[in-house]
Amino acid sequence: MAVAEQMTEDLGLGAMTFAREIDERAPNQVYVEVAPEDIVGAAEHVVQRLGGRYVVTVGTDDRERRGDFCASHIFSLEDRHVFLTLQARVEPYEPAVESITGLVPGASWAERELQDMLGITVHGLDDSRRLVLPDDWPTDVHPLRRDVPYNIRPEPVEGLAPPRREPPPGASVMAIGPYFPVLEEPAYFRLFVDGEKIVGCDYRGFYNHRGVEKLGDSALTYTQVPFIAERICGICGFIHSTCYCEAVETAIGVPAPPRAKYIRSIMLELERVHSHLLWFGIAAHILGFDTALMQSWRMREPVMWLCERISGNRKTYGMNQVGGVRRDISAELAQEILQVLDTVEREWLELYRAAQGDGTLLMRLADVGPITPEDAKAICVVGPTARGSGLPLDARIDHPYAAYAELPVNVITFDNCDSLGRTLVRLEEVFDSIKQIRTALRNLPEGAVMVEIEEIPPGREGICTVEAPRGEAIHYVLTGPNNQLAQWRVRAPTYPNLQVVPRMLQDQNIADVPIAVGSLDPCFSCTERMEVVDRRSGHARLYSREEILELSGPRLGLREPPEWVHEHNDRDHVH
Amino acid sequence: MTVWLVVGGVVQVGLVLLLAPLFEGLMRKLVRARIHSREGPPIWQPYYDLFKLLVKEDTQPAAGWVYLLPSVLCLASVLTASLLVPLFGRGILGEQGDAILFIYLMAASVAAVVLAGAMSGSPYSSVGFAREIMMTLTVEPVLIMALITAAIDAGSLDLGAMAAWHSAHGPSLSMLIAAFALLLSVQAQVGKLPFDVPEADQEIMGGPFIELSGPKLALFKWAFWAKQLVLAALLVQVFVPWPTFTLGLAGSAALGAALCALVALVKVLVVVVVVAVVDAVNPRLRLDQAMAYFVAVIFVAGIGLILAFVGT
Repeated sequence: MAVAEQMTEDLGLGAMTFAREIDERAPNQVYVEVAPEDIVGAAEHVVQRLGGRYVVTVGTDDRERRGDFCASHIFSLEDRHVFLTLQARVEPYEPAVESITGLVPGASWAERELQDMLGITVHGLDDSRRLVLPDDWPTDVHPLRRDVPYNIRPEPVEGLAPPRREPPPGASVMAIGPYFPVLEEPAYFRLFVDGEKIVGCDYRGFYNHRGVEKLGDSALTYTQVPFIAERICGICGFIHSTCYCEAVETAIGVPAPPRAKYIRSIMLELERVHSHLLWFGIAAHILGFDTALMQSWRMREPVMWLCERISGNRKTYGMNQVGGVRRDISAELAQEILQVLDTVEREWLELYRAAQGDGTLLMRLADVGPITPEDAKAICVVGPTARGSGLPLDARIDHPYAAYAELPVNVITFDNCDSLGRTLVRLEEVFDSIKQIRTALRNLPEGAVMVEIEEIPPGREGICTVEAPRGEAIHYVLTGPNNQLAQWRVRAPTYPNLQVVPRMLQDQNIADVPIAVGSLDPCFSCTERMEVVDRRSGHARLYSREEILELSGPRLGLREPPEWVHEHNDRDHVH
Repeated sequence: MTVWLVVGGVVQVGLVLLLAPLFEGLMRKLVRARIHSREGPPIWQPYYDLFKLLVKEDTQPAAGWVYLLPSVLCLASVLTASLLVPLFGRGILGEQGDAILFIYLMAASVAAVVLAGAMSGSPYSSVGFAREIMMTLTVEPVLIMALITAAIDAGSLDLGAMAAWHSAHGPSLSMLIAAFALLLSVQAQVGKLPFDVPEADQEIMGGPFIELSGPKLALFKWAFWAKQLVLAALLVQVFVPWPTFTLGLAGSAALGAALCALVALVKVLVVVVVVAVVDAVNPRLRLDQAMAYFVAVIFVAGIGLILAFVGT
């Protein structure tokens, strides 16, 4: 308990009279239990006195275990490398808490989600509309409550639309979305425009919410979740599986072996490289600069091949497991990685110089989508979006995970505070990532890549952040009985970043909207499980792999998969 | 005489219609795809595209022949303009029309785009045609000033006379400046990057063309490809008419004419390649940036005009 006491003293928690109970379970995680009425005061203390940066709010249905709900605001204390969680215990009959958006505007979405998913009323929200749930979802069903089954499917209701904000007088509405050619995913920005100038903006998203968290803490065991977690994102899947695995490892106090941690870092940096190359191509395409798109994606291709060599897949590697990784990197493979990286580095340098010398490109990026450091702090943006506005935030330094405690990461910031700044951050990060991979391969420790974990103890909490290419992703887990999770909260980096859009687009030109939004590298939602809904009956069913193959086989001329594929599938099924 | 006009006109219009997609196809395959490190579509792809669009069902928000008007007007004005371009001494309609008519026909093709945009109720289309009008306000003057420069030099509004004067008097400073300004404006006139602001696929999804499909879209595409050819031909024939072989190498007038045509074709190809390269290596400008650029070009063209006045 020495660490906890030290922490209490260091953080001035003793001075917090409202702190009912201080609990410390892992060296970098402090949980403080606060009375619901004190939550705003506590948050104020953390933000103003301790310099805490708001990360996310997690709602927990603890009625089975402790007879109440819990609303946890997670803060990050960068200088002390600590997560400080303020937990308000909320009574179960009419659960309600005070909003902290007056203090931290960036908490708005997470608090709205608290209302949607757990039915905890948040008083004092400036925007109380639904965020996540569809418009026809019944008002009294809150999916993340434990007494709501994961496969519930309420009857659809026709003719409902999201409550909209009205444009200011004199302005007209221009819709970007729900489907828009250069935004690959559904998102609906209603722009209020005066001529070509934007005077306001309304947003509705979450069209593709798949209830992954609910699935993870009700239908799956903790060893199955990494494979679902990886499917949260089609680009940074490994980030989510790493984040989940390390959160569980922190919760149960069993770290992965050093070699596994290094391999995770290598894969994470490879993902950053291919993600930034992908992003640059898309950004160029948004500006009509297809030559840069083609070249950037051509350079990216060898990295994808590399991932396939390492894991067997270009994407969605299935490598992570709680306790380590399932594939090793041989000396021969390491050599191959280094060779490919040399080529990528050389070609990227050429493109980097060309981009910096391209006057038209710079003209389209400079002063577009400005985010002042004050806005960045208020909304709590992360990743290149924060670093492009001069905030040196990087989860790899702030809360080291994988092997980053031993890898010298160079945090790249620019003070441009616009799309150009965010672009330059990403362009340069590619070089730094390549450097990290080289160092990691050189220092790759010997030994096992996996520790066996039989059972996980219930009632443990774990938090992990991973610096995704788009910014800090965070996973919070609360373990439950029977090797299952009682609570799993995922916050992707786009979650805070998108909240800055209304401020960023104010007084901008319509022509700049796609690139300004694109400069956040948004990832609205990711791959979905194949689901077929029979419109007449309204019933949905999931198709198995065999059925999909059967359906598509004759048309696509697919053959039966070889025997070993079935064996492999069966084995995974038993898990 | 009238018969000759009709036959010649039909042949030339046919050639323009036939060649325009070929140039586009060549540029896509040999320039754009090369710069992209891609294999690229077949050279004949634009023909396939046109054929596909022409036989496709025409989905339209409202019925009526009036909706066909903009696309027909656009292609017709471009094709008529092609008859004014002096290919062999004088354009086929050189007798009937001069530079003023050419300018009007080009403006009519732009007006057709604006009309198409105005006929659609889509907000993207409204933004698109508004942009088209704004762009035209700065792009069209470049064409006008270049032609006036040549008219002052030659002392005539007849395009054929301008070409003759240039080939007789050799290159002058005013002519070179006018040619350069015109070359810069071709990029915008034919909707190529960095000036395809009115269409801007990634911003407003094709602007005025957003609701066009089938034959109407085909006619607009065809018109734009033809316009590129017509403007390139105007540029090389009126402003850069050398080398000429009117006297013939071996004294044969027919051989001279054939050589002339060949050289003209090569020069047109050079202009089209330049347009395609600029298109491939630039991101799109914003409307205000594009307009600021052309205001600068207008100033340059203005210098050419002044030089023409003082006779340089």
